Amino acid sequence: MSGVPKATLRLAAVVALTVTLLSLGGMALQYRIVADRLEQQTLGLLKADLDGLASLYEQRRIIALRQAIDYRAAAASPGEMLVLLARDGTVLAGTHDTWPEAVEPQGGGFAPEGALRFAAHGQNWLGVGRILPGGFPLLVARGLGSVEGTLLSLRRAIVALGLGMLAAAALVGWIMARQMLARIARVNALADRVAGGDLAARLPGPRSDDEFGQMESHVHAMLDRIEALNRATHRLSDTIAHELRTPLNRMLQKLAQVQGHEAVTDALRADMRAAIRVFDALLDISRAEADQGQGGGLLPLDLAAALAEVWELYAPLAEDRGLTLHLDLRPGLQVLGDRTLIGQMLANLMDNAVKYCRPGDQVTLTLTEGADHHILRLADTGPGLPDDLRAEAFERFTRAPRDLGTPGHGLGLALVRAIAARHGAKLALPATGKGFVIEMLWPKLGANS
Amino acid sequence: MSMDRILIVEDDADTATAIARVVEGLACAAVIAPTLADGLAEASGDFRVIVLDRMLPGGDGVDAIARFRAGGSRAMILVLSALGRAANRVEGLEKGADDYLPKPFEPEELRARLRALLRRSAVDLSSNDLMAFGDFEIRLKARTVHIGRQHVPLSPKEFELVTFFARNAGQVVTRMQLLEQVWNLHFDPGTNVVDVHVGRLRRKLEAAGSQAIQTARGEGYVFAPLPPASGSKEAG
Repeated sequence: MSGVPKATLRLAAVVALTVTLLSLGGMALQYRIVADRLEQQTLGLLKADLDGLASLYEQRRIIALRQAIDYRAAAASPGEMLVLLARDGTVLAGTHDTWPEAVEPQGGGFAPEGALRFAAHGQNWLGVGRILPGGFPLLVARGLGSVEGTLLSLRRAIVALGLGMLAAAALVGWIMARQMLARIARVNALADRVAGGDLAARLPGPRSDDEFGQMESHVHAMLDRIEALNRATHRLSDTIAHELRTPLNRMLQKLAQVQGHEAVTDALRADMRAAIRVFDALLDISRAEADQGQGGGLLPLDLAAALAEVWELYAPLAEDRGLTLHLDLRPGLQVLGDRTLIGQMLANLMDNAVKYCRPGDQVTLTLTEGADHHILRLADTGPGLPDDLRAEAFERFTRAPRDLGTPGHGLGLALVRAIAARHGAKLALPATGKGFVIEMLWPKLGANS
Repeated sequence: MSMDRILIVEDDADTATAIARVVEGLACAAVIAPTLADGLAEASGDFRVIVLDRMLPGGDGVDAIARFRAGGSRAMILVLSALGRAANRVEGLEKGADDYLPKPFEPEELRARLRALLRRSAVDLSSNDLMAFGDFEIRLKARTVHIGRQHVPLSPKEFELVTFFARNAGQVVTRMQLLEQVWNLHFDPGTNVVDVHVGRLRRKLEAAGSQAIQTARGEGYVFAPLPPASGSKEAG
């Protein structure tokens, strides 16, 4: 296997991302809850502070507050801020010696409602600024530093965990995808073998009891059916041949008994031969199509030699018709082929060339070695294919209206295509200025096995 | 001298009769076997040629060729079958048939094939280097043809063609036979490509003064380099 299959990569990535996103979502929810709880806690502390100060204020007003704040300032913890100002703004008592600018003192007594966040002295705070009766501003705040520290490390943990999760999920996804796709690859390999001509190929071992096993069973059932159809095609063509030729044979024998009337009997014979030829061509086409891509029956042969035989057979006829022939075959190019079929193929093409070209036209057959294929090219300078016929030129019974006066049934190119397909050769009709050009890419022997 | 015997394994009665008519026209005795089993049973007799159908009651004649041989038959086997496409013919020959003729067949074609087979089974193909018909001489090793003293330059294919004609001198040779025997091609090209080749050969021989190749109307060609002896047999 070259490289990593794309599907494996894609599947692994999807699994990893999904797992990671889901767990990140879960962690985000937890984070939210923790953050809320911590804020509630801070708010609780703030409320307790306010309650304590309120009860002191109840007893001895500002004096008591001042004492309490001084006392707290002496044992100051970094997490609390208490500042009591005089009416003129000087600090009466405080854990810190300035009133944070961000806080605007308001009325409302010792209630914790309306607590706000603000930054001062290098950290964030949650607190309230109040104006006590008599115009004394009081600030009560709790530091958010430790809360934020906790949340920060929580966030860091989440990121680290997320990355770890992504890696782990990617790994697990990769392994799972590999396992799954390995089983699909088995079926793919089977399909390749079948496409390569081995219609009887099946997967070894028992089918597993899961969807993959089912898929394999379905593929097997499909292949069984194709194989049966292929066999049936072979049988059917034999039966057609027998059922058609046996009565024709009786007719021909009786015709031989007829004395005189030679013009009529000769014409009848010719008609019968023509009918047989059409049937043979149709049967040849369907047989070649049924055997398409199957290696069975093909033997290693020299393509140039097989082509040259038929070329030489047609050369005198073509020359007599005034055509100029050019042959350039690279010798020794081996293919897996059927000599008779290759002969029939070229005979059909030559037949067309001779039929449609005019005296003075050229016919050129070349066989060259390409990078991956042997390139067979037959070109003539005749009338070529009408443009509207190019798409269906290889279909059975396709004939150009202009050629209806020329004998033929429109089976030649269909047979050419079927024979090319039988050999796994790719066909093309390159566009040319003038004439008919057909190109065939023949698989090199050994390149495919 | 007893007549040569030819075994006809054919289930279609009309066809069997038609074959028998051709066989008798060749002054041979025809024995008809309508099934494969009958054919195999008869084949132990002394036959020169077996005409064998394929789709027979009891099986495919081509598959049974090995059994005919195993039964000790040394007859030449001509498969005569409705399975007449190129692939069928090649298959038959590969499985040991000496010749393969598709149905429907012309009586003349069958006659030409049977004659060729009778001849092949009679004479071991000449290991002689020289084939001479009067002043018409073919030298096989040198691959040359002389008429009188005159050398006739021939292409390799034309030489093979004239050699095949010479081996069947005096007998009708059909176009299908030429395609099969000289070109080793077993499909029907549709156009009469063979005629053009024979025409060229014929013109070269005629230029050298020989009328050796004659057209047999509707059947093929006859190679007759010597003027026909009076009363020579030409059946049908």
